[in-house]
Amino acid sequence: MQYELQQVTQQYNGKTVLNIKRLEIVSGKIYGLLGANGAGKTTLFNILAFLEPPASGQVFFAGQSVFFGRTELHKLRQRVVMVDQYPIMFTTTVCKNIEFGLKIRGMEKGCRQAVIDEALDMVDLAAYRNASAAELSGGETQRLAIARALALSPEVMLCDEPTANVDVENQAVIRALLTRVNQETRCTLLFTSHDRLQAAGLADETIVLEKGELVDTSYENIFSCSLESKGGGQKVCMLQQKVPFNLPGSVPEKEGRGYRVYLNPDKIKLIQGEQQSQQRPGILFGTISLMMAEGEKVRLIVNVGVMVTVLLSVREYQQLRLAIGDAVTLKLRPDAVEWL
Amino acid sequence: MSFFIDSFLSAISLVVTLDPELFQVVGVSLRVSCISTLLAAVGGIPLGFFIAYGNIRGKRMVITLLNTMLAMPTVVIGLFVYAFISRRGVLGVFDLLYTQNAIIIGQVFLITPLIAALTIAAVSRIDERYSKTAKTLGANSLQTVLVILREAQFGICAAVISAFGRVVSEIGISMMLGGNIKGFTRTMTTAMALEYDKGSFTLAVALGLVLMSISLLMNILFNFVQGRGRL
Repeated sequence: MQYELQQVTQQYNGKTVLNIKRLEIVSGKIYGLLGANGAGKTTLFNILAFLEPPASGQVFFAGQSVFFGRTELHKLRQRVVMVDQYPIMFTTTVCKNIEFGLKIRGMEKGCRQAVIDEALDMVDLAAYRNASAAELSGGETQRLAIARALALSPEVMLCDEPTANVDVENQAVIRALLTRVNQETRCTLLFTSHDRLQAAGLADETIVLEKGELVDTSYENIFSCSLESKGGGQKVCMLQQKVPFNLPGSVPEKEGRGYRVYLNPDKIKLIQGEQQSQQRPGILFGTISLMMAEGEKVRLIVNVGVMVTVLLSVREYQQLRLAIGDAVTLKLRPDAVEWL
Repeated sequence: MSFFIDSFLSAISLVVTLDPELFQVVGVSLRVSCISTLLAAVGGIPLGFFIAYGNIRGKRMVITLLNTMLAMPTVVIGLFVYAFISRRGVLGVFDLLYTQNAIIIGQVFLITPLIAALTIAAVSRIDERYSKTAKTLGANSLQTVLVILREAQFGICAAVISAFGRVVSEIGISMMLGGNIKGFTRTMTTAMALEYDKGSFTLAVALGLVLMSISLLMNILFNFVQGRGRL
């Protein structure tokens, strides 16, 4: 076991921003950490990177309980490397940026050069060895940050939104690179993302944070919404303030904004064509935008004005003979809707 | 006007012929200014860093105090140090008054706040993520501090150059604590004041030329350092 967190909380100015009852991270796996802005992803990363101690709770690293004393932390930080969303490069050459961590670890100069060359080769930046790090593009900087981390042969790599600020081409390169690193070095890899699909494609497992707590949802299908009265004591839910949805089951009494609703993708029934009135509770119309096979299930992204994910069994999918662009009806039972 | 032109030409002649008296005065000035700048840098840079990054109470008050000290007249510092190093002062036994060391002490008091204040400004501009990046790459506290100082090196160099410019051109401290003793504590500025009092402008103008040249050099160096910082 790489990490084990028990009853870990973090507070800023008296406000609890992280509250994790239990979390286990297995060595050698890739984890995707999902959550909205302010969900606590960076706070959790800072604790996992030993950059800040938790307000309470216990952290175990490689089976050992972590004491957040200065000497202890310095030793642990040499085993875990974090790659920032906007990586900071020291104002020097590409080569010297990678050399920094190696020098700190007391590696001899001859060995350092070999490690630097290997790391640069891996991220395909060997041609920029003596270039100024400030001259690199966003994608190249991200790759250099990964090379700088890789050169240190860490047990754990924490990547904060590794593909958020790079172009599509570099996104694919970085995803492939992270997978390769994990396969070749067996280092535990955690990355944060807002993108459920990216996380599903890269991670062995996903962890979802919601308001600082671990949740069992798959992060997708969480929508901000407002409740509006439509007369006769009935309320309509505006998903992301734009798609009207007549809710099945119980509805919060108070009208207004600021609600968050989760539509369980396993409990959404998909019917071909527009077969029922959207005025009826639990009904949404849309078209299929994307289909992906995921083991024994098929993930469908349906555009109903917002993107709603539906999970079907392979058998259901085969029976329905669906294609991208098909018009479909989504039928949600009351137990498919959860208020967060 | 012809009087000024004559003095100017004679002064150039003094500079070109490497007049011993002129260069003796310049030597004393440069020596005390370099030593005081060095000592103030050794004290002021860590002080500025500590104030900027340290978790200290009343940080704003300390910064306000430092900024106030930037405007402190040299004669006030001269008086303050005089009170300590004169025969009747607590440091009177060291017999420092009217020595180059006395000038150095006064000048250190003058420019340490300047270096500290400019260091605070320089390191405060450094992105906090440099510190985080250094730590996550395994740096200890001292190594992290060195990373931040290295990133702020252009700003800190500019602070030191500014401080040197300030001490090489000050007169109050050199006059009050050095006493303007020929061949010993006579600096460029005190010599210029004396020559002016005597009505002998030639040496005063020559010293003025040297002082202006040093100021020009300092400014060129300052701009060069700042320019590199922007690259």
